[in-house]
Amino acid sequence: MESWESWKRVREMEVVPLSNVRRTESPERGLGVRGLSRREFLRLAGVGAGAAAFPGLLAGCGGDQQQGNAPKTKSVEGKLTFWYWGESDAPGANQWMNETVKAYKEKKPDLEITVVPQSTATLISSFQAAASAGQGPDIASQWATGPVLAQVWQDAIAPISDYVPQEEIDQWLNTNENVYNGKLWAMPYYIIGIATAYNKEHYDKAGLHPENPPQTWDDFLATCEELKKSGVTPFSIGNQDGYGGAWHFSNMELQYLNSLQEWVNAMIGRAPFTEERYTGWYERLNFLVQKNYYNESVNSLTLDRGHAIFSRGESAMSFGTDGIVRQWQQDLGQDVVGIMKYPKVAEGNLAKAFNATQSISYFITSWSKNKEEAGAFLQFMHTPERMQRWYELTGVGLADKRFDASLIKDPVLRELYEWETTGSQVWLENYNPPQIDSEANLKAGQLIFSGSGTPQEAAQLWQSVAQRWRTQSPDDLKNWQSWHPEVSGA
Amino acid sequence: MTPASTSEKGPAVRRRERPKRSRLRNAPWTPYLYLLPAAAFIALVFIYPLIEVVRTSLQVPAATGGTSFGFTNYEFMLTDPAFRQAVLHNLILLLSVPIMTVLALLFSLLLWEQMRGWKWYRAFIFTPYILAIPVVGLTFIYLYSADGIVNTALEALGLGFLTRDWLGDPRLVLPSIMSVIIYRELGFGTILFLARMMSIPTELLDAAKTEGANWFQVHRYVTIPQMRSVIEFFVVVEVITMFSWVFAYVYTMTKGGPGFSSMILEFYIWQNAFEFQSPGIASAVAVVLMVAISGLIFLQVRVRRDESGGDAEH
Repeated sequence: MESWESWKRVREMEVVPLSNVRRTESPERGLGVRGLSRREFLRLAGVGAGAAAFPGLLAGCGGDQQQGNAPKTKSVEGKLTFWYWGESDAPGANQWMNETVKAYKEKKPDLEITVVPQSTATLISSFQAAASAGQGPDIASQWATGPVLAQVWQDAIAPISDYVPQEEIDQWLNTNENVYNGKLWAMPYYIIGIATAYNKEHYDKAGLHPENPPQTWDDFLATCEELKKSGVTPFSIGNQDGYGGAWHFSNMELQYLNSLQEWVNAMIGRAPFTEERYTGWYERLNFLVQKNYYNESVNSLTLDRGHAIFSRGESAMSFGTDGIVRQWQQDLGQDVVGIMKYPKVAEGNLAKAFNATQSISYFITSWSKNKEEAGAFLQFMHTPERMQRWYELTGVGLADKRFDASLIKDPVLRELYEWETTGSQVWLENYNPPQIDSEANLKAGQLIFSGSGTPQEAAQLWQSVAQRWRTQSPDDLKNWQSWHPEVSGA
Repeated sequence: MTPASTSEKGPAVRRRERPKRSRLRNAPWTPYLYLLPAAAFIALVFIYPLIEVVRTSLQVPAATGGTSFGFTNYEFMLTDPAFRQAVLHNLILLLSVPIMTVLALLFSLLLWEQMRGWKWYRAFIFTPYILAIPVVGLTFIYLYSADGIVNTALEALGLGFLTRDWLGDPRLVLPSIMSVIIYRELGFGTILFLARMMSIPTELLDAAKTEGANWFQVHRYVTIPQMRSVIEFFVVVEVITMFSWVFAYVYTMTKGGPGFSSMILEFYIWQNAFEFQSPGIASAVAVVLMVAISGLIFLQVRVRRDESGGDAEH
């Protein structure tokens, strides 16, 4: 077996500048010009009109596009409207919310509360339309950090720390994900993390200790090799949508960093992404791919569909969040599925952190006429009986110190919840501006998994996409420059 | 009004109106007045968006909150590897035009020969063209996935060595998308050619057969030359399609991936305009695309005129 060290040495000698790799040449030919007949003119005019229709479409769709989707919802005094999202992460969330509204109305019968479930596909765009119009719900949902702060910087959110007492906020976990300028802008409710799940039966068959999963990079490589020899796919994931690569990014790149500020520094141009500490991990991923440790279908399956491979027992390892691990246990058996933290690949301070996040965050809109009431309702969601009911319905752990973790009976899921709530937690993908995430993070992983790009090209991609973002979004850049994120539990 | 009154008052009225009408009719600006509504419509629908896109392509957001003008978007576009890949892929997609043309000709000839059940075949070939592209795209995702129907069928037939990750392999993704485009667009070409064939005078064909021409010679020297204008029309339409109408295939099937293996110019424009909120870059590419397509058409018209010795315009 070719070792990681020898592979690394060879790869270091093979570095080729991107400009040399992708250069395409087009022959230039001179074109004589002569007059056009009327008929040719008309033909060209017709074609020109057709071609013009394309930019016309672009012009027609630009500018006020978001305004065109502006919602009809308006904040009305004495009436709370909540654009709610949670069901996709935690099936049962919508039922829980209905029950919560009912329970709150028993306390405040005069208050009218309307809950509007939001779809994943339009979660950001719908709220963006509301923010552009300056009107919408009283309480809304966005994914933590990047999406929340984007709305903070658009003045669409009122700081929740102005409407909820500090002693209540002190009970919440991972609040750091939405802190800016010393204020907390959104509320966490549940918490999810990325665990590396493994199939104990496959480990056993390959002669590996089922209770002793690999903790170092070398152990991990040896484990993959043994599993491959035993005839099973060592690691399965889907990356057609780029999220398989993004989950590797969250697990591997995080370990190279000493602080989140270090990551933001690259984003705002204070350090190049091409440095080892930012994109060096692609060498490791590339090594795993070249050794065929992943499922062959990795490039044509989405992350969701990739999960099904582990679920069918066709691979030995995969990434899963709490709900997915629970599903795998149901499919394969509680005794078969084990979890581990991703092996250690680097020595940064954040290598000790676990990949956990509150996922979705709830906040009070800046235009709400019921801010106090909205704050009270959000606080009500964190009462012990509501939290207990949440867990009963969804099986997802709460982002609250008061949650009784003994309710989690399964030892694997309890261990996962412990990882998510003790020590430091960072879901690094939250700290990418959306444009950079989709064009650099998701695409760079695809380059590696599909073999259509090298680790150097992946690094160069991050650099060029970030450069474009800085040029095209100077206002966002200014906000990012003024933001100094911190790690929870650090 | 009675006839009597007409005879009394009519000429007087006509005398008063006639000079006004002729002044209006003879005024030099009158034709332009008639053209004005159409010109205004064209200006609004075609010229305004064009100017707006060119203007946006030159706009660069400034840190002060305003915008400055320059060629930064064009510079970025030209140095972006994704853009270069997109151009290359659009050019590769052009390869499907001759394939489609030849196949459409072949199928239309077979249908024209009125082989048994030809009407059914005609409907069968045309059906994909009336399906919405996203429907076709999604169907082919299920066919072409690594665990999709094509690979499952190959394995069932004992041809497992032929299975591939049709949409996940960067070397195969573009040919796979091309095959879907051909599958859908073929119906259009076939029906177009068939319609033209049906209008070819039978005397020409009979004369050729009388002269001893075989099946191939009849079509090579009589049928196809008769269809030249419609073939040219189809080629032009499909060339434009390969540059500006393949977005829906790529969007539904691969979203430009894996990596940039199936990135095309339209997807690049869409991503920049709506996903990355960089309308300047999107507009710069739209301008380049428009110029490129116009150039291609110009070239095609010139080639045609040169070939026909300047008769094409008559």
